[in-house]
Amino acid sequence: MPQEPLIKGLSKRRRTWFFRSLLLIFVCTLPVVILYTTGYRLDIFNNETPTVVTTGGIYIDTENTDVQVYLNEEQFVRPRLFQSAYYLQNISAGNHRVVVQAAGVHTWVKELPVYSHIVTEAAAFNVPLVTQLRPITEYQTATGTVVYFAVDEQTVLRAATTTEPMVFATSTATSSLVLNPEYEFVAQLFASSTATTSVFADNARGTDEFRFMTESELPATTTATTTPRIISRSDIELVDRGVELYAVWRGQPNNIPYYFCVSSTTVASTSERYGEHVADAIFEPSIATSASSTVYSLNDRTCRSEIKLDRLQQDVYLYDFFPGVSNLVLLHLQTGLYVTEIDDRAWQNTQSLLLGDDFLVLIENDLIYIKRGEYLFELLPEIDSN
Amino acid sequence: MKQIPAEDLLPYARRADFKVAKASELTGRDARFYRFLEIVPGLASWSTLIGIVLASIYWSFFAAYFIIAFAIYWVLKTIFLSYHVRYNLKRLKHHMELDWGALVERFAHDQFYHLVVLPFYREPSEVLDGAIQGLLRAKYDPQKLIVVLAAEERTGEKQVALASEMQAKYGSQFGNFLVTVHPDNISGEIAGKGSNVHYALHAAREEVIDPKQIPYRDVLVSIFDIDTVIYPHYFNCLLWHFMTAEQPYKSAYQPVPLFTNNLWEAPALSRVMAMSSTFWQMIMQERPDKAATFSSHSVSFQSLYEIGYGQANVVSEDSRIYWNLLIANDGDFDIVPISYPIAMDATAAPTLWGTVVNIYKQHRRWTYGVENWCYIVYHFTKNKSIPLRKRWSIALLQGEGYWSLVTNPIMLFILGWAPIFLGTREFHQTVLSYELPILVRNMLTFAMIGLIVSAVIALSLTPPRPEGHSRFKYVVMALQWIMVPMTMIVFSAIPGLDAQTRLMFGRYMGFWVTPKRVQS
Repeated sequence: MPQEPLIKGLSKRRRTWFFRSLLLIFVCTLPVVILYTTGYRLDIFNNETPTVVTTGGIYIDTENTDVQVYLNEEQFVRPRLFQSAYYLQNISAGNHRVVVQAAGVHTWVKELPVYSHIVTEAAAFNVPLVTQLRPITEYQTATGTVVYFAVDEQTVLRAATTTEPMVFATSTATSSLVLNPEYEFVAQLFASSTATTSVFADNARGTDEFRFMTESELPATTTATTTPRIISRSDIELVDRGVELYAVWRGQPNNIPYYFCVSSTTVASTSERYGEHVADAIFEPSIATSASSTVYSLNDRTCRSEIKLDRLQQDVYLYDFFPGVSNLVLLHLQTGLYVTEIDDRAWQNTQSLLLGDDFLVLIENDLIYIKRGEYLFELLPEIDSN
Repeated sequence: MKQIPAEDLLPYARRADFKVAKASELTGRDARFYRFLEIVPGLASWSTLIGIVLASIYWSFFAAYFIIAFAIYWVLKTIFLSYHVRYNLKRLKHHMELDWGALVERFAHDQFYHLVVLPFYREPSEVLDGAIQGLLRAKYDPQKLIVVLAAEERTGEKQVALASEMQAKYGSQFGNFLVTVHPDNISGEIAGKGSNVHYALHAAREEVIDPKQIPYRDVLVSIFDIDTVIYPHYFNCLLWHFMTAEQPYKSAYQPVPLFTNNLWEAPALSRVMAMSSTFWQMIMQERPDKAATFSSHSVSFQSLYEIGYGQANVVSEDSRIYWNLLIANDGDFDIVPISYPIAMDATAAPTLWGTVVNIYKQHRRWTYGVENWCYIVYHFTKNKSIPLRKRWSIALLQGEGYWSLVTNPIMLFILGWAPIFLGTREFHQTVLSYELPILVRNMLTFAMIGLIVSAVIALSLTPPRPEGHSRFKYVVMALQWIMVPMTMIVFSAIPGLDAQTRLMFGRYMGFWVTPKRVQS
């Protein structure tokens, strides 16, 4: 048995040494970490001598957790911190192509400019290749199953894409069925709609026959004498003027969404980074957009208040915001129903929801209704976007 | 109760303001200065928290850099504290294995008595039995123990009768067994443990020490919470440290409180809080120059007598007694960590909500120890005999301790994200804005390694599994440490902020007695 405890308390000297060592680590680590978090990286692979390079990032907002994201053909792994987004780190300044894709959905592709120390934002969306159409019939069974009369299954399924059960009645007896109030409501909506009329028809009043025309072909007085139809959501308005559609920012300049803005300062650099049409919209707004477009200067950014929407050079029967979001627009064009993004950097991604020229579209309370022939459907807008 | 003659007190302890508890007890400039000191801790904490929010909104980059620095600091602090805990664990276990009875044999110590003060309130007889039987189990001559069971008059006849019952049951087995009844409503006191102990020490001197003509220098006082169950060698270990201390009469002796009496019965939340408190005391064992007395501790009767037994008018009496001693001795008073355990109760209640409330109130009382900072700084401006460097060092260290207790958990787990949510648009565009949460997350994850160390150490200090408890509970006891981020905010930062805010607005707290649960 020892005469005294063998383990002494920590000596002041040892504690001081330990403290000073940690202090030294702190002093050395702090500047390195700050430089790292602001985008500086030590490049030891691309040069003979290690050099400090500056990097930026890309933030891709996408609700879909199953997509793959590629940057310049190289797949990125999702950082766990952002559950609904990808943060692509360590990207050198310049233009980079981002691809967001998955099986069964349209691919979203965009070329985005990246600046040192800055993160470029974008919102990807991926519409399913096959859109779900929910049948709405006049009669239902007591349990709510839709009922079709005197029609074969193939005829309906050519028009609808649904996994819901359907009943194909051979008799027209309705005594055991219940009337579907939704059918009546939707049918009335279609009865009073102008879903087959071009939204530009009013703008083109006075011309012999409306047809798709370029702005230069449009009579100069037409736009001045008509009141544009305006659809508004989250301070963004969708408006048709002449034969074009615009997304217009009506909120405070400080709150303007990123896709209305550019970080470059010259026509050449903007054209190179964002596309010629964006450069024109920023530096030549009176030509590129419309007379009402304004350009803001916000610290290190320049923003325009209007973005022209890509209507695929087709006539537009209907436009509205895509249900639940303010950055995507639903367009019923001559060849089908499409979703397009307002973000026009590089280009606007447009994805088809429903192709064909044999249906009508209505949007009521953020629900999309389709009338194809005599059949009514609700389009279920499963989209992977924010 | 005879007053101590002024000439027996240390010169500084004779001052009228020596036992000041709050600003209203002073007059003129002193009162204003003391009031200012009462405002400072709360103001500093609130300013920090609000400042970070404002900085996040208006100076997002500065706030982000500050948070990065703070995250790195936190990781290094975790390493620093973890090192101290692990070192003390080694020492604690070594001390528990030693035969202290044999070690003290080389000293002439027969003249020493241990005066054990056991203040109690409404605790049941089982708790009192546990504490007294612990004394009887000690490997020390019980005839050298003077046990004072200190009851409160305000608890009524039943508790006073319980004390007498204990005296009848155990009195003959000790050298002396004294029951005191602390009168209610003594002017200048606040109801609580401090005033009860104060009264008990007076009574012990008058009824035992003086009649037996025991020199005050030969009495070692151990002031124990009533749930304290000592380990067998406590008195020998204490005596050894007393005999080997550089200045035994200018030292307080601090054991390590292990809140293990009811650890197997207490809920996980209670266990985490209890063990966290133990860890903090283990850290302090290795940093005695930064420590003060906490909860159950020991000190020479002579030392206590010279300051009039400390204060009967404060909430945090366990720490205040050390500051009284330090200031009265012109800064020449030490903490001697004895790295030997005493067992106490983890705070618990029959229901989970009751446990939450009790833990919150207990920690609010403990963190109300910030009142000591006002006392220290006030007297540091008066007692110029204390070396200036020591005064500054203690004032800053204690102040930083109370400030960091309140602000650090909130800054780390909540405000660390503030620039991301509140920052300017320009900030949100930057790489810094996106890298900040990743960095903070990684730093916190790294710091969580400290929790694994905590879980391992806690398991090594857990008493053997009693009958009726599943082995699975060991798994729960390991996993319970994931609650630490929450407990740091809910049971450290918020009660601390609560206590500092009360002090800041002059809404002085009274002593809240932590209910002691019956040991199984």
